Order: sequence, then structure tokens, then C-alpha cells
Amino acid sequence: MGSLQKYYKQSATYKIFTGIFSELENFLDTLGAITINGVDTAKFIIKGQIDLKEVCTQCYRFGITSLPITLSIVGMTSVIVASQVALEMVKQGGSNFVGLLMTILIVREVGVIMSGFAIISMIGSSLASEIATMRVTEQIDAIEVLKVNPIKYLFVPRVLAGIFMMPPIVIIASAFGVITGAITAKLTSGLSFMAFFDSAWLGIYMKDLGVCLLKAIFFGATIALTSCSCGYYAKGGAKGVGEATTKAVVWSFVAIVIWDMIFAIAFFF
Amino acid sequence: MSIEVKNLIKTFDEKRVIDNVSFKVEDGETLAIVGFSGSGKSTILKLICGLLNSDSGEIITSEGDIAMVFQYSALFDSLNVSDNISFALHERKDLRNKYSEKEIRNIVSEKLELVGLKGIENKFPSELSGGMQKRVSFARAIVTEPKIILYDEPTAGLDPISSTLIEDYIVRLKEETQAASIVVTHQMSTIKRTANRVIMLYEGKIVYEGTPEDMLMQNNEYTKQFVTASLEGPMHIISEN
Repeated sequence: MGSLQKYYKQSATYKIFTGIFSELENFLDTLGAITINGVDTAKFIIKGQIDLKEVCTQCYRFGITSLPITLSIVGMTSVIVASQVALEMVKQGGSNFVGLLMTILIVREVGVIMSGFAIISMIGSSLASEIATMRVTEQIDAIEVLKVNPIKYLFVPRVLAGIFMMPPIVIIASAFGVITGAITAKLTSGLSFMAFFDSAWLGIYMKDLGVCLLKAIFFGATIALTSCSCGYYAKGGAKGVGEATTKAVVWSFVAIVIWDMIFAIAFFF
Repeated sequence: MSIEVKNLIKTFDEKRVIDNVSFKVEDGETLAIVGFSGSGKSTILKLICGLLNSDSGEIITSEGDIAMVFQYSALFDSLNVSDNISFALHERKDLRNKYSEKEIRNIVSEKLELVGLKGIENKFPSELSGGMQKRVSFARAIVTEPKIILYDEPTAGLDPISSTLIEDYIVRLKEETQAASIVVTHQMSTIKRTANRVIMLYEGKIVYEGTPEDMLMQNNEYTKQFVTASLEGPMHIISEN
């Protein structure tokens, strides 16, 4: 019986299923941790237990330091899309719709999702590695021993910064994206700014702007919460910090794409 | 009685790290916990200060704060020395509105003076030596006037003179605060200079309990091996399984 069990444990089937269940366990652990931390963070916010000074510090970090990279990514994406479609549309007689198409695309999707990706790579990774380093150097243990709640001290200001800063970042980045789209259309197809902006407003409604801002709020909270949570449960030394950072980036990417899909189904299906 | 540990058991991944450990520490007394790396010394401190939960057993502590000095100081990198020391006074719910900013500044200077580091309030941890960081972490630990102070390898990684200085501060803090202290250490000088009593752990169990002087007499096979740093003896660093 013993040797049969040993043989069975060495088999490829056993290893594949053990691997799958282990990954599933890790997935559920992480999802559970993010949910629990999210609920605890929300409780502190609802009770008004907020350190405004720390929120301002995190807002500066979230918003100001990430703005150049966010504008670059959204702007370049807009240039890529406009250079692909503007000339073709003008050739096919659709010059009246170039501005419309670009604006819908940027306001509804490109502005918010590309800003989200930029924030994840710049701020999410930084939050995760910061908190993971605090974990592995026992700084979070020290916070607990000093009877301060680490969720209140670490999560609340960062999640609030995500909620407050993501909408203005998305508005600025989207406006920048529309402008770079107009410039690209003019350079590639000769479409005038007047023709571009005349049609730009036609397909944009208050609902689009509202959904865009709502998405920004959800993305900001999700990125901050996911990154903090992945860092919070880091184990080991430098390797643990690296793993936590990678996990934060991957989970945040997946999470905001899922949110985006939910919003698309809920509002535009 | 300030700390009483009764029949404490803690298991990690089916390995019993703390196995039915019991001891007491009185007010104004310092207990040294010694043993090989991985023998469960730091786990006991984490169980006492509430960072870990035990599987079974009881930890009874007298009312008041428990402070811990961490092995690598665990100072907050992003805060300066003053903010590190006053962290609990600013952030803790029950202390937040107890003191004015002026009073907090005075408390910080007083604690820094106690550890011989007056005037470094605005420096950041990265600007300090290992010994200075350790002393700042002492100041941070005693800012809430704790009744129990736990030291996790306070002299690890320090040069002999800095170690002596830290040992002197441990004794001084005990005399000034009359707190019950537990010092986890490997270093004989720290045991001799700071402890009133010693317990030795091996595979999660207490294998020796006595005074530092008795320990040095080497009447016990375990302490004999520890004191002489011998590979021969009842303790094996590499587990047979």
C-alpha cells in the first residue's frame, strides 16, 4: 500500500492535479484577503477614522508623480489608433466621423483603461513593494505591537488616494488623448481640427462621462486595495517582496479588466 | 507576577515549535531565553505580544502595555526619529488626544536622552548606525510606559562595544521602568550582563532553567554544549528527519 501511494505521488497526474489545486488555493486565499481588507478599509472610512495628512501625501504620490507616464501612455495610444484609422476613414468618405470615433474610444475605454495600466505599473507596484518591505522587515509587526491598526494606517490613506486621484487623472489623460488624436488625424489625413471636434461631441453623452468617472473611482480603489493586500501578506526576504509586487501587478491588471467588462455589460450592452 | 506562560503549544506546518512551555517572569525581573536558531525563542515573544496565536496553553500578563524591541530594529523608514518614537502617541486611538504636540516633543527628547541619543530627532533611520537604530527602537518601545518589554536578539549583529552599550540600556530600562523583561539572545555577554534567570529551549521544550551563573557552571549537558559551542552533545542543529 505504501509503495503504491509513493508511486501514485510520483505520477504526472498527481503532480498536475496537486499543482492545479495549489494554484486554486492561492487564488482563493488572495481573493479572500483582498475582500477582507477591503471590508475593513471601508469600515474605517465609514467611521471617519482617516488621517488627512497621510491621505494628502498619498494623493500627491498617486496623482502628481504618475501623471507624466499616464499622459504619455494615453497620448501614444491615441496617436497609434488615430494614425491607423484617420486616413482610411477620410479616404472612405468618413471624415465626419473620425472625431466621433476617437472621442468615443478614448472617453469610454482608452483613457480610463490605459490610465489604469499606467497607475498599476507606476503606483501599484510601488505600493506593493513598499508594504511588502515593511512586512518582511517587521515594520508591520511593530505597528501591531504599538497597538495601531495596520489597515487603518496603511490601507485607508492609499485606497482613498486611489479613489480621489483616479478620476482627475482620467479626465486629464482623456482630454490629452483626444487632443493628440486630433493632431495625429490632421498630420496623417489632413483632417482639420474644426472637422474633428465638430463630430467629437456628437457621440458623447453625460452617461459616458459618468460611467468613465465611476470606472475611474472603482479602478483607483481596486488598484490601491489589491496592491496593498498583495504587499501585506508578503513572506520571506527580497524574493518575497518581488513575488508580492508581481502578484499585485498581475492581480490589478486582471481586476480592472474584469471591472471594465462588468461596466461594459452593465451600461452599454 | 507580570508574565505567566502555562503549557504553551504552537505548531507550524505540523511541526511543534513550542511544546508545552511554562514559565513566569516577575516585575523588575529579566528572563533570558536562549537556544539554537529555530528553537522557538522568537515565536514565544510573538505569542506573548499577540502577533501570533497559540494552539493551546495560556499567557497571562499584568495590565498595561507590552513593548517589543525587534531584532533589526523595525524602525519606520519613511518617518524620522521623532515621528518613529511618537508613532503610538500620534496614531493610537487611546493616546491620540492625550498629549499636546509640545508635550509629545518633550516626551521624545526625554526618551532619546534616556538612550543617550539626544538631538537626533530629525534624522531618518537610514542615517543612523545599527546600534543607534537599536537604541531608537528602545526609545520607541518605552514611549507608552510599558509594563512588559520583550527584546528579540537585541545585540545581534552589533560590535562588542555597541553590544555592551545596549546591554547597559536593557539593565537601565529595567531599573527605571521596573518592567518585566524577556531577552531572546545567543550572546553569552548579554545573558551574563542583563538576565536574572535563563531558560534554554531545544526543539520547543525547556531543557534548562536557572541563573546565568549556574548556566556557566556547565552542570547541564545542554547548557554545557551551548556555552562551549560544541558540536558534540545532546543538541543537533540539523534535524534527523
